[in-house]
Amino acid sequence: MELKTKKPLKKQVYLGKPHEPPPAELMAILDKFRGRKDALITVLEEIQHHYGYLPRQQLEATARELGFPMSQVFGVATFYNLFQFSAPGRYQVRVCKGTACYVGHSGEILEHLKEKLGIDEDETTPDKMFTLQTVACVGACSLAPVMVVNDRTSARMTPEKAWDALEHLRAEANGNGEVSR
Amino acid sequence: MIKLTIDGKTVHANPGDHVLDVALENGIDIPHLCHHKDLFPSGSCRMCLVQVEGAPRPQTSCGMTVQDGMVIDTKTGAIEAMRRDIVDLFVSDHPLNCVICDKNGSCDLQDNAYRYNIQETSFDFELSRPKYYDDNPFYVRDYQYCIMCGKCVRVCDEIVGANAIDFSGRGFTSIISTPFEVPLAESDCVFCGNCVQICPTAALLPRSKIGKGREWEMERRQTICGYCGVGCTVEYALKDGKIIYAQGTPDGAVNGEFLCVKGRFGWDFNSSPDRLTEPLIRKDLAYELGLTDEPWEMPKTSALKGKPKLGNFIPVSWEQAIDITATKLAGIVQKHGPDAVVGLTSARCTNEENYLFQKFMRAGVGTNNVDHCARL
Amino acid sequence: MSAIIRLGMSTSDIAAGAEATFLALQSAVRHRQLPVEIKRTGSLGASHREPVVDVEIDGQSTLYGPVTPERVRPLLDQHFGSGGRGVSSDWLISRRNDRSDYPFLGKQVKVTTRLCGLIDPYSLEDYLAHDGYEALKKALKMSPEEVVQAVLDSKLRGRGGAGFPTGIKWNLIRKSPNFPKYLICNADEGDPGAFMDRATIEGDPHKLLEGMIIAAYAIGASRGYIYARAEYPLAVSILRHAINQAREYGALGKNILGSGLDFDLTIKEGAGAFVCGEETALMHSIEGKRGMPTMRPPYPAQSGLWGYPSNINNVETLASISSIVLNGPDWFAGLGTDKSGGTKAFALTGAIQRSGLVEVPIGTPLRELIYDIGGGCADGHDLKAVQMGGPSGGCIPANLMDTIIDYDELRATGAIMGSGGMVVLDDTVSMVNMAHYFLSFTQDESCGKCVPCRVGTRKMLNILQRLLAGRGRMTDIDNLRRLCITVGQGSLCGLGQTAPNPVLTTLRYFEDEYMAALEGGANGNVQAQLAAEVTA
Repeated sequence: MELKTKKPLKKQVYLGKPHEPPPAELMAILDKFRGRKDALITVLEEIQHHYGYLPRQQLEATARELGFPMSQVFGVATFYNLFQFSAPGRYQVRVCKGTACYVGHSGEILEHLKEKLGIDEDETTPDKMFTLQTVACVGACSLAPVMVVNDRTSARMTPEKAWDALEHLRAEANGNGEVSR
Repeated sequence: MIKLTIDGKTVHANPGDHVLDVALENGIDIPHLCHHKDLFPSGSCRMCLVQVEGAPRPQTSCGMTVQDGMVIDTKTGAIEAMRRDIVDLFVSDHPLNCVICDKNGSCDLQDNAYRYNIQETSFDFELSRPKYYDDNPFYVRDYQYCIMCGKCVRVCDEIVGANAIDFSGRGFTSIISTPFEVPLAESDCVFCGNCVQICPTAALLPRSKIGKGREWEMERRQTICGYCGVGCTVEYALKDGKIIYAQGTPDGAVNGEFLCVKGRFGWDFNSSPDRLTEPLIRKDLAYELGLTDEPWEMPKTSALKGKPKLGNFIPVSWEQAIDITATKLAGIVQKHGPDAVVGLTSARCTNEENYLFQKFMRAGVGTNNVDHCARL
Repeated sequence: MSAIIRLGMSTSDIAAGAEATFLALQSAVRHRQLPVEIKRTGSLGASHREPVVDVEIDGQSTLYGPVTPERVRPLLDQHFGSGGRGVSSDWLISRRNDRSDYPFLGKQVKVTTRLCGLIDPYSLEDYLAHDGYEALKKALKMSPEEVVQAVLDSKLRGRGGAGFPTGIKWNLIRKSPNFPKYLICNADEGDPGAFMDRATIEGDPHKLLEGMIIAAYAIGASRGYIYARAEYPLAVSILRHAINQAREYGALGKNILGSGLDFDLTIKEGAGAFVCGEETALMHSIEGKRGMPTMRPPYPAQSGLWGYPSNINNVETLASISSIVLNGPDWFAGLGTDKSGGTKAFALTGAIQRSGLVEVPIGTPLRELIYDIGGGCADGHDLKAVQMGGPSGGCIPANLMDTIIDYDELRATGAIMGSGGMVVLDDTVSMVNMAHYFLSFTQDESCGKCVPCRVGTRKMLNILQRLLAGRGRMTDIDNLRRLCITVGQGSLCGLGQTAPNPVLTTLRYFEDEYMAALEGGANGNVQAQLAAEVTA
C-alpha cells in the first residue's frame, strides 16, 4: 500500500507585529533574494538604485521580509560609502579626490562648487537639483582632475569649467521643466 | 597535549585553545580589554599583542590558537611601549573623569591606565562620539566612555541572540547603536543587561547604580536567583543592606556569567514596603477562629480588583498558618473527597520544591489535580 | 583591402569624449560606404592621447590620438580618400605595428594587457582568435599539481601589493581537506590613483575569466566570486557579459569543456569601502556583512568565506595565469628578476608628460619607466618623487630612480610595489601635504574596529594638519614617529599596518620639509595651506 505523504506544512516565519505589506516594487526586489543570506549588500544596492536612496520604511521591510536583524541592515547601510539615507538631487555631482585628481587640485574644484552651490559635501541644494559628493577614485586618473555627474565623467576639470557645466545642466533642466508645463 | 613556552615558563594546553586563555590560566597576565572567554575573539583592542618567536610582527594572543613548541614573550620592551601608546590613544577619546565615575574601581581601562601610569593623554584630546542616551528604565548609555571593544554587540548576537545593536558608521566616528538610533524600547532589545555587565567602562551603567556609592564600598553576596526554577547564580552588590545592582558571576553553574532581565533588574521587590514578610490570614476566618474580636465580611467587589489591602488580614505565626491550612484542607477532603482540592505551584519554586508539592498532592491529599504556572 | 578602425571605449576614453568620436566615425563610414569594420575596444593605455583611433589596413596599423569628432573626416580622407592634407602630425601617435616609434607604447612589454585596445571586449570571437581559452584547454590536460607547479616555477607573486608567491598560496589551499573551496578575485581596486584592473577588465575580460577557471582547476575550487568596485559600472557590465558568453561557450558551469570540472562565477559589487581590499574584510563583504577585517590566523586558506577554505588573488595575478600556462613558466620567469617573474602594470599618473597604463617587466629601473616611457615631468618641472602603492605605499625620492621595480627592492626604500598606482610628483608638491592627503584618506576609510587605526590615524592626521597650518609643536615630530610605530605594528589589518608608510617615507626622505613646516609655519605652499583649511 502506498503511504500517503503528508502535505508539507507551510513554514511560518514570525515577522513581528503586523505591518503593511511592502510595496510591490520592493517585493519584486526582495523576492529575487529570498533565502540568500549573502544578499544584503546587493539588495540594498538595488533598493538604492530604485529609490535613489535608502528609505527607512523599505529598510525595515527588507529586514522583516528577508529575516535579517534590523541592526545588521542599519550597520551595513551605514558602513559603505555608496549608501545614502536622504533623497539625492536630480544630478549627483561627484568630485574625484583620488591621488592624481588631488595633485591636479581637485580640492579647489570642490571648494568652488561648495561656495557656488552654497552647500557642503553630501548635501543637496534646496531646489533638489544637485547633490555634491566626493568619490575616492573613478579610475580615470590620466584625465585628472575629473568630475562625475550622474554616470558621466568629465575630464580635465577646472573650478570654472565645473561650475559652467553645472549651470548648463540647471538651465537645461529648468528649460525642460517649462516646456512640460 | 600541546607544550609551549610563555615568558620562559613551560605550559600545557589543549589543541584549539587560545594563547591568551592559556596564559591567564597559568597566571601569566596579559592586558586585554575586548576579550571575554565566552565570546568569539575580536582582536580589536590590540592590548593582548605578544611577540611570537619567528613572527615578523606582534600577534594577537586572544585569537591565536596554540601550537606545539611556540615560544612567546608577552612583555618585551617594544610591546609594553606599544600597549602604553594604545592606552594613551584610548584615553585621548575617553574622559578620565574617574573621580566622579560610577565605574571607578571596576573599570578595565582605568586599571590599564594605572598599570601604564597614564594620567592624561599625550595626544590631542578629542571625543569621537559624545552621545548620551537615557531612554529606558534599566540602564543608561554614555558613549563618550565607549572604547568600541564590541563586547556588547557580540554578547547581544552570540549569547542573547537579540541583535538589538550593531556597529554603525565607520572609522573614528563609528558608534554602537540601535537601528536609526531609535530608543532601545523600540529596538529588539530584551533588556537582559548582559551588555551592561561586560562593558569594560562606564559606557553602559545600570541606572540603579548611578550615584549610589563606590564599587569598593559595596558588599557582594552570591545567591540563587529567586525568579524561576532555572537557578541562576546571581551576585548582588549591596550597600547599607540595600541592593544596588545585580550581576552574574563568571562561575555560575547553570547560567555562566549571564542573566535575564528579571534576574538582573527585577529585584526591587526586595526592599518594597508591599512585600509580604509573614503569613497572613483573612479577617473573617480569623474571627471565626477567635483570633480577633472584630467581625468582618468580605467586600462584594472582586478580590482580584485593586490592590490587596493589608488591613483585611491579620498576621499569624508560621505554626498557626500551617495548622489552619492543614485543618481546612483535611476538612474539605473529608467532606467532598480529595478531587475537590487543586494544587497550583509556581515557577519561582525550585524543581525540588515543585517535586515535593506534586508528591504532597498525589500521595498526601490523594488527587492528581496539580499544576504549575510554568512561566513568569 | 581589409580595413579595421579600432576606437578605445574604456571609461577613460569615454570621459575624454570617445562617444562623440565614435558617432562621427560611424556616420562618416556609413555615409562614404567604406568597407571598414569599426571595432570598439578597451583602452590601449595611452590615456594622455585619448580618444585613440587605430586604423589598420591590410595589417598595417596607424595610431592617432586624440581624435576629436572634427578630426574624423581628415583622418578618413588620409586613408580612404583623396589624401591627408588635413591630418596634423600632432595627432599621429605611431605608424609602426610594433609601436617602436612611440616609446610610451614601444618600450612596454605587455602580458596581462596584451589584447587591451586590440579586441572588442564584448566579442568572444575576438578573444578566441587570439589564442583565447587555449591555455584552459592546455591546463585541463595537465594535472592540477602540474598547473600549481607551473605557477610556482613562473615565480609569479601576488600583484595586489604584498607580493606573496601565488604558487605557494595555491598549494596551501590545495592541500586543505575541507570542501567546498572558494576562489575569489579581488577587483576592488580601491587605491586612489590606480586603474590597472579596470583597464584589464574593460579591455580583455575573458583573460581574467580564463585565469580564474585555470586557478579553480588547480586549487579545486567549485565556486568563484569576483568582488568588483561599484564605481566601475562599465567594467562590471562587461564582465557580466563575458561570464554569460563563457557559460555559453562551455568554459563555465558544469563539465567545463568536457573535462568534468565544475566551476561557476558570481560577481559581487562592493559598495564603496577601501578596507574591503583586505582579504578578510572582502570576504565579510561578500557574505553581506560590514566589511570589518578579522584576525589572521586563521588564514583564508584554512577558514575563509563562510568558514570554508578560500583563495583570494587580484585581477592582474589571475590575468597572468593563462599566459603562464600557454607560454610556459620559464618564459614568464624569464621576463622578470631572479626572485620574481613576469610583468607589472602601473597606472602612471600625476605630473607626468605621458600618463596612462603601462606594463613593464619586473626588474625595470624606475628611471626607465618615468623618463623613457613617461617622458619625465610635464611643463618643464623637475621630478621630486614618485608615489607608489597609494595610501599603503610611500614616496620614492628622485635620487633613488635607479631602484628597480621589484618587491624587495622597493620595500627597502620604504615604499611598496602596491597594486600599481604610480603618481609622479614634481617640485611644486609639498611632501607634508602629500602625507596629509594619504593619511586623510586612510583615516576616512578606517573601519573603526581596532584602536591604533581608528584613533591613531586620527591623531597623526591632527599633527599633520597642525604642521601644515603653521601651528606645529616641538613634540609633534616625535609623537608622529611614535604613532607610526604603534599604528604600523599594532593595527589589526593591512590597512592600519601600512597606513603610516606615506608618513614614514616622507619623514625619511624629506624631513627638512617637516622641519620647515614646524619652524616657519606652512612651507609657503599655497596648496598645502588650502588643503589644511579644507580639511580643518
